[in-house]
Amino acid sequence: MDQILNLLASTSGISVTTLILSTLAYSSPLILCALGGLFSERSGVINIGLEGKMLAAACATAFVGAASQNAVVGLSAGIGIAIVLSLLHWILTQVYQIDHIISGMGINALALGGTSLVSKTFVELGGKDAAIFPREIYYLAAWVAAAGIWYLFRSTRPGLRIFAVGNDPDKSRQMGLKPLRIRLQSLLMTGVLTGLAGALIATNAGRFSDEMTSGRGYIALAALILGGWKPWPTLLAALAFGFFGSLQLILQGRDLGGLAVPGEFWQALPYLITLIALAGMLGKNRAPAGLGQP
Amino acid sequence: MKLLGWRQILLALAGFGLIVAALLIAGAVPAEAIQTVVERALTRPAGWRNIIKEATPLLLLGCSVFIALKVGLFNIGADGQFVIGAVCSAVVALNVPAPINIPLAILAGIVGGCLWAYPVGLIKAYRGGHEVITTIMLNNIAGFLTFYLVSGALKDPNSQQPSTAYISDLSKLPNIIESGPLRINIAIIIAFFVVIATWFFLKKTTVGYEIAATGENPNVAKFSGINVNRIMIRTMTASGGIAGLAGALQVLAYEHRFYGNFSPGYGFDALGVALLAGGNPLGILASGTLFATIAESTNVLSRTGVPKGLSFILLGVLVIVFAAFRYRKEANRGSDS
Repeated sequence: MDQILNLLASTSGISVTTLILSTLAYSSPLILCALGGLFSERSGVINIGLEGKMLAAACATAFVGAASQNAVVGLSAGIGIAIVLSLLHWILTQVYQIDHIISGMGINALALGGTSLVSKTFVELGGKDAAIFPREIYYLAAWVAAAGIWYLFRSTRPGLRIFAVGNDPDKSRQMGLKPLRIRLQSLLMTGVLTGLAGALIATNAGRFSDEMTSGRGYIALAALILGGWKPWPTLLAALAFGFFGSLQLILQGRDLGGLAVPGEFWQALPYLITLIALAGMLGKNRAPAGLGQP
Repeated sequence: MKLLGWRQILLALAGFGLIVAALLIAGAVPAEAIQTVVERALTRPAGWRNIIKEATPLLLLGCSVFIALKVGLFNIGADGQFVIGAVCSAVVALNVPAPINIPLAILAGIVGGCLWAYPVGLIKAYRGGHEVITTIMLNNIAGFLTFYLVSGALKDPNSQQPSTAYISDLSKLPNIIESGPLRINIAIIIAFFVVIATWFFLKKTTVGYEIAATGENPNVAKFSGINVNRIMIRTMTASGGIAGLAGALQVLAYEHRFYGNFSPGYGFDALGVALLAGGNPLGILASGTLFATIAESTNVLSRTGVPKGLSFILLGVLVIVFAAFRYRKEANRGSDS
């Protein structure tokens, strides 16, 4: 790693500060989104709809932020729409008992269609700059969230309840817990965190563009799996993905002597590593035992 | 228990409301939109041609997802297997002399799809890794891999876009009917027979029965002497093969080349087609045609200024509402016995 950094500094004049800043910008939405997924999956609800929630939140933050010229209103709209989609996932999977995968894919489709509809309809508004919060607040929120979740699951009653419901819904039901209610609370948190993640993506770009999350919800899912559904390892995985992502952006179009690795390789790297982890080559899979159960 | 609960009706109404709201936001009058669709997509030979073209991959990918679903696996990866099958097929079609390259290109597509799905079954059977996660990863890897190939090694030097050269006329799958704007390619016939073969295979053969038994309850299947792991791996591989075939036909019959971002998101459509087919593979014929008609309808609407995002909303609502109804039917069946 030192060699790469030295090489970078010597051949292209990229400072370590630039790399750190770009890593923060790239990884923070991943961290927030993955931690959002952690709440959902720890309570036993499979969530492949992270991408859709993030996309919808980015869209709402940008458009409402531009219309109101008020950062608080914009962010609230972003978080609000992510919560609405998260609650829809709760209703569909818990009340209607639809398969979690179908519900997640359906929500992704709704978000994809809805956001593209909005951006094509309100073209003028989309060109305006939205009122936004400084992105450092989001970076901070990502790390605070990780610490908070770590504490929550380690030593508080609500955290242990989520944990129990996700591991064995039947037994926890017999112990007097209410999986439905606990999952509702968990999915609320998923909405808040994915909403923040989407808002940050809109903030980083300045405005909304179609499919701007470009699969980062799935990278966040990959980080969650690689992190074994635990907050700090998940954060580390997301940070590593962010590092490689920003490295790829910086390396694009630069000649680095012998280092002719195609950009597509860096982009595919998070998925490749996760695939290898799933194949059991990086230790055993440690998914919550009750994932997807009613 | 009644078949239709108030909850299901409420969901259907909410879905309908969402679609109408989407139409209104897009600035379209629902009645006019319906008229446009009927006039330009449903009653014109050019519209039929597009629907048939769109239905070909949907029927095949629907079969692919359906078979996997029967054994209890969600093949979200049909998209990746489709793309890999397409690129394999294009390479063979471009590099092997004309008469014999068509069957070889089809075979290459099938093999490519199989190979891309094989690890999914393997990881599921022996490592317990969820197939949805594995296939999501493989879809993205397939996208980047093929984009890399097609903007580098396989790129047509004369093209500005990341795309291969066009295959020669002799390498194309022929149209069986060409009258005016109406064209029917032999690919749709192949897709039709694959649906029939899937039905026969699942309903009339021993392996088909073993697949269904494994999907219903793997533990019971194991005790009755079925090698559950082997069935899972082979079914997943077959599922990938059909998706690869879809990719091959897309290249040989319609696109005549391979290019970056080849799939317009067929993975989700395929899941919808398979789910809406219900319990019978022959239902794929209906659901595949329905999805193709929706795709063509929103295409036509987009030319009158209604954004294409509408189609995703339409399909999302359709899949969610149908899943809510279907689950309920199964719950009733369970309480009767």
